Amino acid sequence: MKKKFLSVFLAGAMVLSLAACGNSGSGDSGNSSTKKEEGGSSEGGNKLTVWAWDQTFNIKAMEMAGEQYKKDHPDFEIEIVETSSDDCQTKLTTCANAGDYSTMPDIVLMQDNSYQKFLKSYPDAFTDLTDCGINWDDFAALKQSYSMVDDKHYGVPYDNGVCAAFYRTDVLDEAGYKIEDLTDITWSEFIKIGENVHKKTGKYLLTSESTGGDTIMLMIQSCGANFVNEDGEAFIVGNETAEKCIDLYTEMIEKDVVKLVNNWDEYIKTVTDGEAAGIVNGNWMNATLVGIEDQKGLWQITTLPKVDGVDTATNYANNGGSSWYITSNCQNVELAMDFLKSTFGSSTDFYDSILPATSGIACYLPAGESEVYNEPVEFYGGQPIYSTLVEYSSHIPEFTKTPYHYEARECVNTAIINITNGTSKEDALKEAQETLEFKMTE
Amino acid sequence: MNSQKRGMTLIAKQKAAGWAFLTPATLMIVVMSFYPMVRAFIISLQTGTGANMRFAEPIFSNYKRMMADKVFKQSIGNTFFYLIIQVPIMLVLAILLAQLLNNKDLKLKGFFRTCVFLPCATSLVSYALIFRSLFAQDGLINSILVKLHILESGYNFLGNSASAKIVIIIALVWRWTGYNMVFYLSGLQNIEYSVYEAAKIDGANGWKTFWKITVPLLKPTIIMTFIMSINGTLQLFDESVNLTKGGPANSTITMSHYVYNTCFINVPNFGYASAMAFLIFIMVAVLAFINLKVGDTRD
Repeated sequence: MKKKFLSVFLAGAMVLSLAACGNSGSGDSGNSSTKKEEGGSSEGGNKLTVWAWDQTFNIKAMEMAGEQYKKDHPDFEIEIVETSSDDCQTKLTTCANAGDYSTMPDIVLMQDNSYQKFLKSYPDAFTDLTDCGINWDDFAALKQSYSMVDDKHYGVPYDNGVCAAFYRTDVLDEAGYKIEDLTDITWSEFIKIGENVHKKTGKYLLTSESTGGDTIMLMIQSCGANFVNEDGEAFIVGNETAEKCIDLYTEMIEKDVVKLVNNWDEYIKTVTDGEAAGIVNGNWMNATLVGIEDQKGLWQITTLPKVDGVDTATNYANNGGSSWYITSNCQNVELAMDFLKSTFGSSTDFYDSILPATSGIACYLPAGESEVYNEPVEFYGGQPIYSTLVEYSSHIPEFTKTPYHYEARECVNTAIINITNGTSKEDALKEAQETLEFKMTE
Repeated sequence: MNSQKRGMTLIAKQKAAGWAFLTPATLMIVVMSFYPMVRAFIISLQTGTGANMRFAEPIFSNYKRMMADKVFKQSIGNTFFYLIIQVPIMLVLAILLAQLLNNKDLKLKGFFRTCVFLPCATSLVSYALIFRSLFAQDGLINSILVKLHILESGYNFLGNSASAKIVIIIALVWRWTGYNMVFYLSGLQNIEYSVYEAAKIDGANGWKTFWKITVPLLKPTIIMTFIMSINGTLQLFDESVNLTKGGPANSTITMSHYVYNTCFINVPNFGYASAMAFLIFIMVAVLAFINLKVGDTRD
């Protein structure tokens, strides 16, 4: 009797738990189906969904844009789903590849370096914004070219990826240099200074990730060139500019001017621990720097070193940065276009308001002239870095884009590591060229 | 006559009941596993980036392309390196630990067993990240080695290809030994104590008992764990992504990691990625088959 009761009880418990599973399962799918509807705005509605990352930076800016737009359009609503940059790419790849655009949001933030890859693979996933009313001349030419194909604009440029060289003035003092000694110089001069700094203070004038490092890409892009030729083919062997950049970079590694680290965490650590006396990267490093209390007032920015022996070399480059794109899942394209145009596309007030809140620098050239941008920044010893950076961004040279940006970066960094480990330069470059060509074939 | 009819119906009923229990699970496996496999094979015959897929000319060009892909060949080499070095070390360690913890007179058995098994309960991503910070240039391991004056300054474990591979192997051994140990423990507990008593009477010492009695009796368990380990190691992904990100210049990248890169980091080429995934599947199947044949002690 007891056994019978126990077995009936257990069977009942199992059935109940299965039913509960089933219910919660359908509950979940119920949720996800409502989420699916929210994936795109409804026809004629006033709501827009956005995918973006970084709470303190991009998401905050989008929220502030929403509030500003709401002042003139009271029933406007915006819903921001926090999605990391990698996740945005993975999610878009997955749903675009399945042909099912219904889970995509109305507006999505995309890294400039990866956009060409998406445009090549999924051309119908994004809406053409050329005639949405934005005055494209107000934006730096280079920034626009990231989101353009054949003179058609697909993205509203957002955060500025302009690069600067950040230096610790106290370390430079110790080694006997001033910030002017590092302004508008060449990389070979940088190497000499870097060797002295390392000898006298033990610190590195530059740190970089070994396989994922952007420094080599910055160097070649500052010359208006890339590791592909105009037809988009892999161009490493025979590319004189590329070879000069690679030579300089390997020289820096061998002379202990640059310290290579294994991943992003270690890279940030060299900055926070004070091991790095200089940073050559996008201005978004500013967000990390201002959080380091004990280095306040010790940093200043200036232009990048330029590559020796190349006619088109400049002291300016761009790294990263992102733009807002309207997907083809958006049911309310007019609303989205109007929203983006009146905030990110034309409003100096908007850029003024987000600067102190997010330290996000615009690509909108008129914004650089406002008062807020020209204020001296305490962390940098009173240097008005924002207007300086916007000014830098107008000098960045254009270069041929490629959807294979990450592949090129990996191949070249691999070649550099092989060269420092003893492989001959010709063999390493040949291998990089072959690998990149291979990755480009279908 | 009547009883015969009833007998057949009873057997038929039992058979029908058996099929009724099997059908839902079988259907789900066919839909969830076999159908995607077939679709993946069809995709692997196609080529094109993103959504522009078309059938390849010639049809097996993705497979031919794999033979020319240097990075893929390197990833195969890396994965087999892990397989050949890590799996034997881990299984031997697991079986030794199981034998030690099977000792009836050991105190705190439950505690030790929990300790050895606990690593398996951790998330793959978190443990990989922690190992990464442990072996960083100024991580815990380097700090200890410098303090003990074994090294002058921190050694770049993750920056050298050989040591990066060894770090991955150490991480794998740490994580999966407990898992296999549990299987061996349960296998050991199925061996009757009288067998050991007989061996003791015959004068066998601990070592001989272990190799001549315990291991042969554990053969089915060993084969099963061997197949599972091969399966798991050939599909290694999380450690490659989170610990070393493919390692300095692709020296620790695994096959699955490369497939992921082809789909999501580089310009997406799903046809080629499916072809590579199929190759991994064939490799695992072949190795498992060989394993079964070698270990099959039935007549």
